[in-house]
Amino acid sequence: MKTKLIMSAAAMALASATASFAADDSADPIIIPIHNWSSQIVMSHAVGQIFESMGNNVEFVTTDSQAVYESVRLGDVTLELEVWEGAFGQSFRTALEKGGLHDAGDHNAVTREDWWYPMWTKDACPGLPSWEALNDCAALFATAETGDKGRYLDGPVDWLKHGKERVEALGMDFVVVNAGSAAALWAEIAAAEADKRPVVVFNWTPNFAEAVWPGEFVEFPAWEDGCDTDPSKGPNPDALYDCGNPADGYLKKAAWDGMKDKWPNAYDVLTKISFTNAQIAEMARLVDIEEMEPEEAAEEWLSANEDVWKGWLPEGAS
Amino acid sequence: MAEIATNSRPEDGTRQGAGIRALLEEPSVARGVFWSLLGVAALLTVLRPWLPDGLVRIPEALLMPWRDWIDAAFDFVAFDLGLIHVTRFLSGILEFVLDAVANILYGRARWPRFEALPWTVVASVAAITGYALGGWRLSLLAGGTFVWAAVIGQWKWTMETMSVILVAAPLGFTIGLLIGIWCWKSKRVEETVKPLLLVLQVLPFFSYLLPAVIFFKVGPTAATVATVAYSLPPMILMTTLGLKKVSPEVVEAGKMAGCSRWQMLRYVYLPSARTEILVGLNQVIMLCLAMVVLTAAIGMPGLGAKLLEAMGSFKLGRSFEIGITIVLLAVVLDRLSKAWVVKQPEHFEKGTPWWKRNIFPIMGVAAFVILYLVARGVAEMDPMPFDEVSFPSWLVGIMDEVHRKESLSQGREFDASIKAFLSLDWVNAITYAIRYVVNVYFLIPTEKALLYLPTPAVIFVITAIAYRIGGVIPGILALIFFSIVAQLGYWDRAMLTLHSVFMATFIALLLGVPMAIYSVRKEKRAKFMILLCDTFQTFPSYVYLLPAVMLFGISPVTVIISILIYTMVPVIRYTVEGLRNVPPELTEAADMSGATRWQKLTKVQLPLALPTMAVGLNQALVFAFFMVIIAEFIGTRDLGQEMRRTLAGTNLGWNFVLGFSVVFMALTFDIAINAWAEKRRKLLGLD
Amino acid sequence: MTDAPVISCRNVWKLFGPNPKQYLAQMSPGRSYEDIRADGYIAGVKDVSLDVGRGEMLVIMGLSGSGKSTLVRCLSRLHDITGGAIEVEGQDIMALPEKELIELRRSKMGMVFQSFGLLPHRTVLENVAFPLEMRGQDRHTRRERALEVINLVGLDGREDYFPRELSGGQQQRVGIARSLAIEPDIWFLDEPFSALDPLIRREMQDEFLRLQEMLGKTIVFITHDFDEALRLADRIAIMKDGAVEQCDTPDKIVLDPQTPYVRKFTEEIEKARVVHANVLAGPVNGAVIEGEAIPGHMTIQQLARQLVNDPRDILPVADKSGKVTGVMPRQKALDILLGDAANG
Repeated sequence: MKTKLIMSAAAMALASATASFAADDSADPIIIPIHNWSSQIVMSHAVGQIFESMGNNVEFVTTDSQAVYESVRLGDVTLELEVWEGAFGQSFRTALEKGGLHDAGDHNAVTREDWWYPMWTKDACPGLPSWEALNDCAALFATAETGDKGRYLDGPVDWLKHGKERVEALGMDFVVVNAGSAAALWAEIAAAEADKRPVVVFNWTPNFAEAVWPGEFVEFPAWEDGCDTDPSKGPNPDALYDCGNPADGYLKKAAWDGMKDKWPNAYDVLTKISFTNAQIAEMARLVDIEEMEPEEAAEEWLSANEDVWKGWLPEGAS
Repeated sequence: MAEIATNSRPEDGTRQGAGIRALLEEPSVARGVFWSLLGVAALLTVLRPWLPDGLVRIPEALLMPWRDWIDAAFDFVAFDLGLIHVTRFLSGILEFVLDAVANILYGRARWPRFEALPWTVVASVAAITGYALGGWRLSLLAGGTFVWAAVIGQWKWTMETMSVILVAAPLGFTIGLLIGIWCWKSKRVEETVKPLLLVLQVLPFFSYLLPAVIFFKVGPTAATVATVAYSLPPMILMTTLGLKKVSPEVVEAGKMAGCSRWQMLRYVYLPSARTEILVGLNQVIMLCLAMVVLTAAIGMPGLGAKLLEAMGSFKLGRSFEIGITIVLLAVVLDRLSKAWVVKQPEHFEKGTPWWKRNIFPIMGVAAFVILYLVARGVAEMDPMPFDEVSFPSWLVGIMDEVHRKESLSQGREFDASIKAFLSLDWVNAITYAIRYVVNVYFLIPTEKALLYLPTPAVIFVITAIAYRIGGVIPGILALIFFSIVAQLGYWDRAMLTLHSVFMATFIALLLGVPMAIYSVRKEKRAKFMILLCDTFQTFPSYVYLLPAVMLFGISPVTVIISILIYTMVPVIRYTVEGLRNVPPELTEAADMSGATRWQKLTKVQLPLALPTMAVGLNQALVFAFFMVIIAEFIGTRDLGQEMRRTLAGTNLGWNFVLGFSVVFMALTFDIAINAWAEKRRKLLGLD
Repeated sequence: MTDAPVISCRNVWKLFGPNPKQYLAQMSPGRSYEDIRADGYIAGVKDVSLDVGRGEMLVIMGLSGSGKSTLVRCLSRLHDITGGAIEVEGQDIMALPEKELIELRRSKMGMVFQSFGLLPHRTVLENVAFPLEMRGQDRHTRRERALEVINLVGLDGREDYFPRELSGGQQQRVGIARSLAIEPDIWFLDEPFSALDPLIRREMQDEFLRLQEMLGKTIVFITHDFDEALRLADRIAIMKDGAVEQCDTPDKIVLDPQTPYVRKFTEEIEKARVVHANVLAGPVNGAVIEGEAIPGHMTIQQLARQLVNDPRDILPVADKSGKVTGVMPRQKALDILLGDAANG
């Protein structure tokens, strides 16, 4: 019933808002894609509710996080709120080349995606987070299949991480195994947690796992521009990928080219939207730790952070 | 002598091809060819260290640019020829229907713009429908399922899922039925449709993703189309089979009763083929619900998406609860639809009052109206703040909607118990031992061996086997198909895929056949086994993938186990089916010949059940090829992993190259095994 | 049997094979069944000509594969014939368009099948009412009529049973009721009692004779059981390899088998049970008629005691009205009763 009250409040706000500025946005629903990780879902709902407060119709559709760019391009989906540089950069760039969607600006957040370990690992291998120390304890990370070598559990292949290349470039005693999904990564961490077994896996921030399993990123030689194209960069003069990933990857928004004309007001807001790491982590926390439904979490977040998002609205909206 | 001469006359005129074929089917020749193919393969393997690279793997330079060709062809058909406009037009119609159903079930803001139905209304109407169709058991099941969905806090998702299933399942059933009838009417249509169906069935799901999204618009429409495409094949096959089996006397009786063609179909053929058509319907419903999770990637709303979301943030308990809801829905829809088809019209005495003849519709409408008013009307009149809400109005509110905090979900407790279970030492010890032994001594060596083999050696072995079991045509097709796989350029990944498929199927046979034999001894046990098969078939595989990962880590064992759960189902189902259908007089004859149980099993029952079991094996292989790609979710290095990579950057051509590598491998086995089963069945005079 | 035949076949052929019409057109006359088979064709029906009169019961008798079932399916045009002509009530049925053929079956033909051919998903009542439903009668009248025929075959009280809940004999009663529901003029029965136990079969035959006495339909009855044929038939057509070997009354077939094949059947038969006195009678031709006449419609076996004890050499034979129609030498009758002296 609480939901209902808030909804009606939103509806009232909507009524007054409609009169003032939304005359030229199309009444067709803005289609927002949602994927299978919480921060993106909550963020999508939060933005959706902001659009609704401006008098727009909004609908959500669940999609694959790679195939979605094809849909944005075709206009079946209006926008995408989380374009991670590392994981989705390639799909995004391909779609960009084919035409039909464009970059709608960056979030304030920086993303980091790299080798990571949960804190209990450090008890067994105290030299961490240095990568050399990690390599010295490689045997600790051995599994039934890898023999003496340690196992590094990399992200799904479509995220295009270069774990294998890095192991070779840096001469590490590790075997790289790709997990098929984020969920499989979590399952491995959870299984390791049970008997406090050391593991080193691919992870990223912002992300809910930080709250559940405290941990740290492994410190590799710092990223230099061109580390992925020019062998001379990084410690190994003959190899690519001999650095850590950039610690400040982008997190973008993408929009369908037609959005600007069809929903000019909403589009304007979209370009201004910018979340920080802390905000994204908070959204994820509301769902993952507080066990809220994404819709509720979005409401909760919006009502607690009015000062953040009210500023994005057009002049005279509030 | 004269008679022999005249009998052999037609053969003089036959084409030479058939003569060669007959020669190759001569047992002695067949044996010779089989062994020499194997011999060549063995020789190539032994000589591998000295072979030129071109004989070990097809050199890159000789591979055709299949990707570009497929991309070009796709663009041409989709955009230049304008196929996309046709499919988009169709999806517009489909969308209208889906939206209307969605509006009624959960109040989606579309025509006819009703408000969402309170769950009490849906549950009670379901219960009354259940009672009307199948008595109080069905009533309890149907009503209970919806009550469960509501109190566990999954109401809206369930309705979202239902809104698609309620369109997709009837659509799949109807289209399947029509195509099935058409195939039965025309031999030529049947011959074209059958291989297409096979391709549809074995084409990996990741290959459906992009075309579905491009042609039918991401969302419920694409999800419906993909679901229907998956549920069609068994419906079509069963319809055709059922119609073919209608006894000629029944047909003649229909004709003599003066049936027109339409009447023949409507009143004679379709009702007489009812058993098979019902099996088809059951498969449609099961497959529709099996697709709930996979299609979430292309816009299927509801339970599937929520399941993936729960898994993304590692809520095992939640995902398990969602899995249960999906199975319950499958069972309810299956039972309701069967009961409805089986239901006989009742005879009422003359003069029965109108209300008595229509008692169930009236009860349904009454429950609908009363509960709707109570849950909705009263709730609106009583806008009391949540915290001070009085008990009666809370009760009314909860009849409208069960909120998150009121739900009975035990997700967290479940998670805690799984974690506790996993931290038990003996559990760890056992799983580690299994993982170690199976991986190190079994899976990894066999995998390495398979990868070591030169490409032509593998092709020859597969050809030899297909030829030996299926005959000349399957042998030739195996040669062609596997050469295509080699030419497509992902040989090593294809071999890894094949390895997982073989291992999973092999273990499924090892475990499934004895289980089936054991269960068949008692009718009750056999029935229980079949129920178990149904459950596992619909329980979303994703749900047990994660616990499997937790138990066995991201390793080949986990992959095999996840495939295994699927492949066991057809192996058990068809073995049970085959053994049960052995004519009783034959087992009695065996008993009277003084056969021991073991002799009876090996000499009488199994040989007779073998053709049916082969169908099960074939299904197991098809399922394995399907699941091995899904198991990519865990982490594999085969074609599935590569397919996932193609999704980044929407590489349609590349995706299809990989998809067809799977298709051609699966087709080879399907054709060979079916050919064998057919021959065998003829030999035994079954059918 | 005074008016025109109800069914009339003229040189009917039914060939199975790749291109039967063309083959038949260029086939040289006089090819045997074996010759035709060597050419790659099976002669299901081979040059058959016969008539069935109104109210007559023609029994077609033959072993399995003799073409009797094929022939009856040609008569109802369940099979299209390859050559020749079949007329039913003067209409060439091969020339009928589909609509009229359906109309003919809906109004004039009924058929009973060896394995009953019941629709498994319909109750007894619904099965019996099926032909009525097909011709569009309303629910009420068809229910009434169906119950009527169900009573007629003695299944009253079972109308809501499903076929699987009935015994074989009962199922065939349903089949018979269904075929009678539309009050057909022509009744085809394809080995209706072959699937039944001998005792039931006997009972059903009696039942069938009772029905026929009441209804007086034109009947074509198929059987492979010579005894059954003798028991029921007005005339018997014996078939072999698609052709009719002999078509005659039971008495004549027994007394005067015209082919070795027919003779083989008759050898095992106790002729006295089949042959009627009036068949043996010759014209009076001035012979002296003394004493009481014997009834001509009785079989020799029924008259056995009298024949043995009667002192007369020549016996007058009377029809049912008592009028003397001929005379029968006693020795002839005794030969039949006791077997030929030569065979003695």
